[in-house]
Amino acid sequence: MAEFLQYVITGLAVGMVYSLIALGFVLVWKSSSVANLALGQIVLLSSWFTYGMLTQAGFPLWIALPLVILFALGLGWVIERFTLRPLIAQPILALITVTLGLGYFIEGIVHFVWPWSVAALPRIFPQSVVHIGPAVVSQEYLWVVGISLVVFIVLTLFFRYHRMGIAMRATADDQKAVQACGIPVTVVFSRSWMFACVVAAISGILISSIGGITYGLVETGLKAFSVVILGGLDSFGGAMLAGPIIGLAESVGGGYLTPVLWAGVKDIIPFIMIIIVMVIKPYGLFGEQRIERI
Amino acid sequence: MSLPCGTRNYTYADDMAIMRTRTHQVLFIVFLVLLFTAPYYLGNYWLGVVNLIGITLIAALGLNLLMGYCGQLSIGHAGFIAVGAYTTAVLTGRFELPFLVGLLGAGLMAGLVGLIFGLPSIRVKGFYLAITTIAAQIIIIWVINHWSLTGGFVGIKVPYASIGGLVFRSESSQFYLIMTIAALCTFCAKNLARTRVGRAFIAVRDNDLAAEVMGINLLYYKLLAFFIGCFLAGIAGALLAHWIGYMQTEQFSLTESILYVGMIIIGGLGTTLGPILGVVFIRLLQQVLATQIVPFLEETMTFLPSGFATGIGPMIFGLAIILFLIIEPRGMAHRWNLFKSAYHLWPFSY
Amino acid sequence: MKKTLILVSLFLCLALLLGTLPLSACGKPAAEKFLKVGMMTPSTGAAAEKGAPGGDGVRDAIEYINNELGGVNGIPIKLLWRDSGYDASKAATIVKEYMAEGALMFTTHASAEMTWVMELANRAEFPGMATYTAPNIYRPPQHIYGQLPDYGDDWSAFADYYLKNIWKGSGKPRMALHLLNNSTGYGARDAAKALADKMGIEIVAIEEHTATSISETDSLNRIKAAKADVLYISSTPKPTALIVKNARELGMFPAMTIGSGHAGLTKALVDLAGADVAEGVYGVFPTVSWGDNVPGMAKIVEYAQKLHPADVGNLDYLSCWSAALTVAEILKTTLETTSYDVLAKGNVESWRAIEKNGIQKLNYDAAGLHGPAKYVEGDNRLAKSVRVLQVKSGQIVPVSNWVDAPVVKYEEYSWFGN
Repeated sequence: MAEFLQYVITGLAVGMVYSLIALGFVLVWKSSSVANLALGQIVLLSSWFTYGMLTQAGFPLWIALPLVILFALGLGWVIERFTLRPLIAQPILALITVTLGLGYFIEGIVHFVWPWSVAALPRIFPQSVVHIGPAVVSQEYLWVVGISLVVFIVLTLFFRYHRMGIAMRATADDQKAVQACGIPVTVVFSRSWMFACVVAAISGILISSIGGITYGLVETGLKAFSVVILGGLDSFGGAMLAGPIIGLAESVGGGYLTPVLWAGVKDIIPFIMIIIVMVIKPYGLFGEQRIERI
Repeated sequence: MSLPCGTRNYTYADDMAIMRTRTHQVLFIVFLVLLFTAPYYLGNYWLGVVNLIGITLIAALGLNLLMGYCGQLSIGHAGFIAVGAYTTAVLTGRFELPFLVGLLGAGLMAGLVGLIFGLPSIRVKGFYLAITTIAAQIIIIWVINHWSLTGGFVGIKVPYASIGGLVFRSESSQFYLIMTIAALCTFCAKNLARTRVGRAFIAVRDNDLAAEVMGINLLYYKLLAFFIGCFLAGIAGALLAHWIGYMQTEQFSLTESILYVGMIIIGGLGTTLGPILGVVFIRLLQQVLATQIVPFLEETMTFLPSGFATGIGPMIFGLAIILFLIIEPRGMAHRWNLFKSAYHLWPFSY
Repeated sequence: MKKTLILVSLFLCLALLLGTLPLSACGKPAAEKFLKVGMMTPSTGAAAEKGAPGGDGVRDAIEYINNELGGVNGIPIKLLWRDSGYDASKAATIVKEYMAEGALMFTTHASAEMTWVMELANRAEFPGMATYTAPNIYRPPQHIYGQLPDYGDDWSAFADYYLKNIWKGSGKPRMALHLLNNSTGYGARDAAKALADKMGIEIVAIEEHTATSISETDSLNRIKAAKADVLYISSTPKPTALIVKNARELGMFPAMTIGSGHAGLTKALVDLAGADVAEGVYGVFPTVSWGDNVPGMAKIVEYAQKLHPADVGNLDYLSCWSAALTVAEILKTTLETTSYDVLAKGNVESWRAIEKNGIQKLNYDAAGLHGPAKYVEGDNRLAKSVRVLQVKSGQIVPVSNWVDAPVVKYEEYSWFGN
């Protein structure tokens, strides 16, 4: 029983990390239907920038964090203005591929500015562990859970009640109609990229405070969003729920299957689940099903 | 198809011809001659690069059929290439079967695995399908790593390709093998796109509901696209295996899969020329950056600390992709067509 | 129209680059004497955290050899350094380039790079040397050599040390393995499979992790349930740091001994986990540490501080620096019995000379940077010594003397590669 509780708690905590990365992905998808393949690299770059502010420049946390957020806003604006804006109204696959190029470019910048390529952030969160019954969880994960919930709530409220949020949803639905209503689509895109970069920066800080900054962050980002598609590409709630579901499957499934199967079986459990879910519910668990007309 | 001024199709045969004019034919023959005499003027290294391009092209043609013609987004192509590579490795390396058996077996095996992972395509579309193909790749690689037959993490040795008594040992003999197969695959892909099957693919891509209404069996054609696309991936994998000689799963990364998608989009989806241009562009850029530009910068700019150019490689690579797409979002093949029609009408282009 | 112009100019630029670069590379007068050597590191891509400092080490060392030692017997080394990007197809064409350019031998930094290209080299008899090695690259031995002992040797050295110095209980110690999902991890598994019974160790759990893992609490729970006395991690610094951290959170460590292979035991491990968390972790490493009092250390410190201050204290920099020294020594040994003219050809004849008269006659103290590099028939590892170290107040300090890891003939086991 203690074992099971431990698996559940670990699974939930890890799942929330996935969710947080996925939120940044969903944000862009929701407003412009662009799959952001550079997400991992954006996470990497903002982690390094945080490192630069905290360790290299030596700013205290309360100055460094706003600076990172500002940097992420700027990054989002630059990305949208110079790579995606010129491609508005072009085939969507071209936009997706351009983010692929963007990923390489950002990776190059990181190599250029921080050539030593591995570093640890100073400890932002307290290190002591929390005991829940017989199970143990590190405080870092709890912070991740808390912060992702906050981000999730803010985003949900924003999309439901704020003018810009509503405009973003409308843009995703029908760009031409939105333009006709006098909503500046370019501004909507630009904002959604800026917000997405902020979310990516936040998840970057959290993940690298757990595991340090390395190029592995790119793949972690890639894995997280492929995992969270389970929830549906355009649903924040889906992303938030799918993360823990996958985390649980990994941890509990891996926990009981590894001794009977091969080692490392937990690494494919999420992907087997994805395929099964996709066959049963093609738009993810919570994705919006579009009715198609000919 | 735009034709040069004054060229008219008078017969059906004219209409069907791939090469319509004398110039076209001559240029094509010149191109083939230039290509197949490459071993005489290219060094072993550049010949190796051309071989790599040929292998990549075969896989990209498969992906183009699947994605460009049939509209089934796949980001797991490297996984299917791996299936082909390991099939031939096991067949020829472990069971010592002839190369041709390995090659065909690789294609069929990859095609079958593609069929299995293509099944969700019946219900799933677009980016959701892309994610299931990512899942396919990760599962395939995991199975290869943990299956005793494939050598697992130690990897597996692959012998030289050989047909009858002819062993493809040297770079140039491998060049002829790879280029012949690549040319054959290009020819088949080009023609397939013009048959009933190809047109059905296009109908499915443009609107699968409409296609179904018109009497196209969606399940059959989608799975056929997966089979053919993955079959070509398997052939490419087999050639890669015999060319490199040792297989280990880290060769088939997710980044490689994403890059394949990038190649055919940069080249131009749904054209035969597209994959060729895209593959040549990306592979050459990678090579030129790694073996020419970065070392050149390191050698000439000695006043900077060595290693500064390391980051420049990915930067130029990314920038080139971004610029190409911004300038020509419909792919290089589209630009080529524009150039061709301008050339046909020159100097009276209005 | 503007777009067309830009496009055309882009094409032209590319064509120009393509056309001029090979020319500029071979445009120099051929009368000059030099020895060409190819060395690749994964300076970008998935393994950049190791490859980037490794590449710096290689280039700085060659600069040192050429500028201060006057090359090899007065002939400068011409280094063809390439960044493989941890990409198999790129690595393969780079080795083809080395062969076409007439390099005398080549080295790779990562063991994975070597597995991608070794068959190309073996087929052509082009001698290669990998800095970091796994058993699969030279079992059975062919034309590929290992500069340092492999990940399997780490395991056997650690197990031996554990039995002699740490294990105080009775009966067989229960060991768990935590492996990265590639040859780094499974190299150690192979050694454990081959030697554990003989040495008197019981392997109670084998866990596998990916390089991108963000929590290993669940796998550690299973290790806990298996009542392991000792955990051996064969991985890179990031996952190793994570596993150590999780083990401490679960209260398993320091009660359970943790040992790490040499891919994981670097300064990055202490940085990533934090000095207090990593305190007490054992590990194996085949080179000396920074600042050790050995003849070769002064120049490394001098060059790193002058050219790459960020790499000071980095063991990848150090081991790649020593790879370059070893290559220079191989060339020197070859030139003792072979004339320069043979090497100037840069073809299979020179490669055979390098292998027969250089690598296989090598007897090099490696300037004290690692164990002596000496070839023994049937064993393609050059240096064979490792020593056990431990993290003590944030420093990785040696706790054992150098020991020679025994050669294991993996290819004689039926399960190897099956």
